[in-house]
Amino acid sequence: MHMVKVDNLKKKFVKYKNKKEKEEFYANNGISFEAKDGEIIGILGPNGAGKTTLLRMIAGILEPTEGTVSFDNLNYKNNEIEIKKNLAYLSGNTKLYDTLSTYELLRMCTDIYGVPKDVAEKRIKELSKILNMDSFLYNKIGNLSTGQTQRVNIARCLVHNPKYYILDEATTGLDIISSQIILDFIKQEKQKGKTILYSTHYMEEAENICDRVIMINKGAVINSGTPDKIKEDTKTTNLRDAFFAMIGGVSYEE
Amino acid sequence: MKSNLWNILKKELRELFRDKKSLAMMLIIPIFIPLIVLGMSALFEAQANKDVEEYNKIGFAYEMTDIEKEIANSMNIEIINGTEEELKQKYENSEIDLYITKDGNKYIINSDASDTSTYAKEYMGAYFDAYKQALQQQYLQENNIEPSEILNIITVEENVFEEDNFFASYIKNYAFLFIIMAITVSATYPSTDTTAGEKERGTLETLLTFPIKSRDIIIGKFLGVSLSSIITGLISLVLAIVSLVVAQDAFSIYEGMDIMFTPISIVFAIVVIIAYSIFISGLCISVASTSKTFKEAQSALTPLTFISFFPGMIAFMMGVVGTPLISIIPFLNYTVTFTDINAGNVDLLNIFLMFVSTIVYIAIVLAYIIKQYKSEKVLFSK
Repeated sequence: MHMVKVDNLKKKFVKYKNKKEKEEFYANNGISFEAKDGEIIGILGPNGAGKTTLLRMIAGILEPTEGTVSFDNLNYKNNEIEIKKNLAYLSGNTKLYDTLSTYELLRMCTDIYGVPKDVAEKRIKELSKILNMDSFLYNKIGNLSTGQTQRVNIARCLVHNPKYYILDEATTGLDIISSQIILDFIKQEKQKGKTILYSTHYMEEAENICDRVIMINKGAVINSGTPDKIKEDTKTTNLRDAFFAMIGGVSYEE
Repeated sequence: MKSNLWNILKKELRELFRDKKSLAMMLIIPIFIPLIVLGMSALFEAQANKDVEEYNKIGFAYEMTDIEKEIANSMNIEIINGTEEELKQKYENSEIDLYITKDGNKYIINSDASDTSTYAKEYMGAYFDAYKQALQQQYLQENNIEPSEILNIITVEENVFEEDNFFASYIKNYAFLFIIMAITVSATYPSTDTTAGEKERGTLETLLTFPIKSRDIIIGKFLGVSLSSIITGLISLVLAIVSLVVAQDAFSIYEGMDIMFTPISIVFAIVVIIAYSIFISGLCISVASTSKTFKEAQSALTPLTFISFFPGMIAFMMGVVGTPLISIIPFLNYTVTFTDINAGNVDLLNIFLMFVSTIVYIAIVLAYIIKQYKSEKVLFSK
C-alpha cells in the first residue's frame, strides 16, 4: 500500500513592509493528513489560503519551515530524487519550453526520469494517441493552442508513469474543454490506483471527483473528510455553503 | 539514477541555439572587433601621419630676417605677417595655428593647448633649432672658425635595438580588451534568460519538479552559458587575428612591424579566453539567479560590462605587469596576463594562478547559489 503522509507542515514567510520593518506570517500552520492508493484528496480553500504553498512543499519545490512529508516512508531530506521520480506535479503556473517540440519535451522528461529509450519511444507513441497529439507531436510548443499545451502538460506528467499526482489549480483559467481533459485524466489515473492531491477553489468540481477533502483557510485546516461528512457536519447541501458556514460567512476584510 | 547534468546541459544548449536573441549576442557582438581594430588603426595612422599643412600657418609679429625666411620656406611654413593684435585675432578665428612675438632676442610662441597648437609648437621648436644653428654658423664663419669643428664637437647617434612597436602592442592589447568586453556582453543575455527568464516564463517550477538536484540545474545552466561565452570569445579572437592581418597590410604605421599574435600568444590567449568565459558566466548566472525578473537581472548585470573593461584598460595604460598577486585579482588578472603574454613574457606560474583562482572563485559563487536555490526568495518571482 502506497502512502503520502503530511505531518505538521508549516511554512513561514517574511513580508517586508519597508526596508526596516518586516512581518512574519505562516502560509501553512501545522497541516497534517494522509492519502492512500487510488484516493483523490481535494485541497480546498479560497485564493491565498495556502494551497499552493502546501502543494509546493509536498512536491519538494519548497522546503518546509517545520514538519515532514513522506512518500512510502521516504522523506525529502534523504530521498529527494527517489521521491520525485514517482511524482508528477501540474499547476496553473507550470509552463513548458516554447522552443522545444512536444516530442523533444517528452524525450527530455523520459531522459530525466531515467526511462529506457525503447520504453520511452513506446510510451510517447501511446500517449500521443490517447491524448490526440499526433498532429502536433513535432510542432514547437510555443506554436500550440492552450488546449494542446495542456494536453502536452498532462503527457509530461504521465510519461514516466508516476505513483502520485499533485495538481494545483490545474483547471484554473482553462476553457470548458481543456478543463474536462484534466478532469477525465484525473478519473482515469484514479482507476489505475494512483494517488492524487488536487487543489482547487472550484468547490463543485472537487465535490464531483474527490474522495476526501481538506478545507483550509488562512494556512490552517478548518475541516476534513468526505464531501458528504463535511456537508453533514455543517448541515449544508454543498461544499461552497459548507465552507462559508465554517468561516462564518463572507468577510470583505483581508 | 545517474546525474542529470547532461540532460540539463542538452536542454540549455537547445534553448540557447534556438533563441534568436541569444544567437545574435553570441555571433553578432564579435563582428564589432574588426570594426574597432581597423577603426583604431585608421585613427592611429591619421595621428601619426598628420600632414604638415595642417599646422604650418604661423603668424610672425615682427620683421623676419632673410635667414628666417629661408628656413621657413625650406620647412614649408606659411608665413603670415601682422601686428600682435592682428595675429591674435587671426589665431582666435583659427586662421593661423600659432603666432610668434619677439622681445629683443627673446621669441615667444603664443598658443593654447589644443592638438593643432601642440603639433605646431613641436614644428616651431625644430624651426628655432635650425635658426639658432644658422646664426651660430654665421657667427663662427664671420670669426674665421670652421663651424663643423665647434658645432660637431660631439656627435650623437641613435642605435634602436628593435623596431618601435608602440602601435603594434597597443592595437593587440586593445583587440584583446574588446574580446573580453564581447564575452561579457554575450554572457549577460543567456544567463539572464536561463535564470530570471525561466522564472518569468514559469518553466522553472516545471524544472524543479523533476528529479534533478539543484546542483545539476545550476551547473548545467552555468556550463551552457560558459560554452556560449567561449564560442563568442573564440570567434572574436579569430576576427581579431583576421583584422590584424588586414590592418598590417592596410596601414603604413605598421610598416616593418609584426602586429600578428605569435602562435604561443594565440594558445595562451585561448587559455585566458576560456578562463574569463568561465568566470564571467558564473558571475552572471549568480547575479541573475537572485533577480526576480528579467529586467531586474539585466539592470544588475549592466555594471559588469564596465567592470570587465576598465580595470584592464587602466592597467594596460599604466603599464601594470603581472605578479602572482595580480594573477588572482579578478578582472585585472585576465588583461594583465594577456598583456604580458603579448609582450613575450610568458610566466606559467601567473597563468596557472589566474586559472586556478578563477575556478576557486566560481566554485564559491556557484556553491552559494546552489544553496540559495532552495529558497523561495530566489525561486519565485512573486
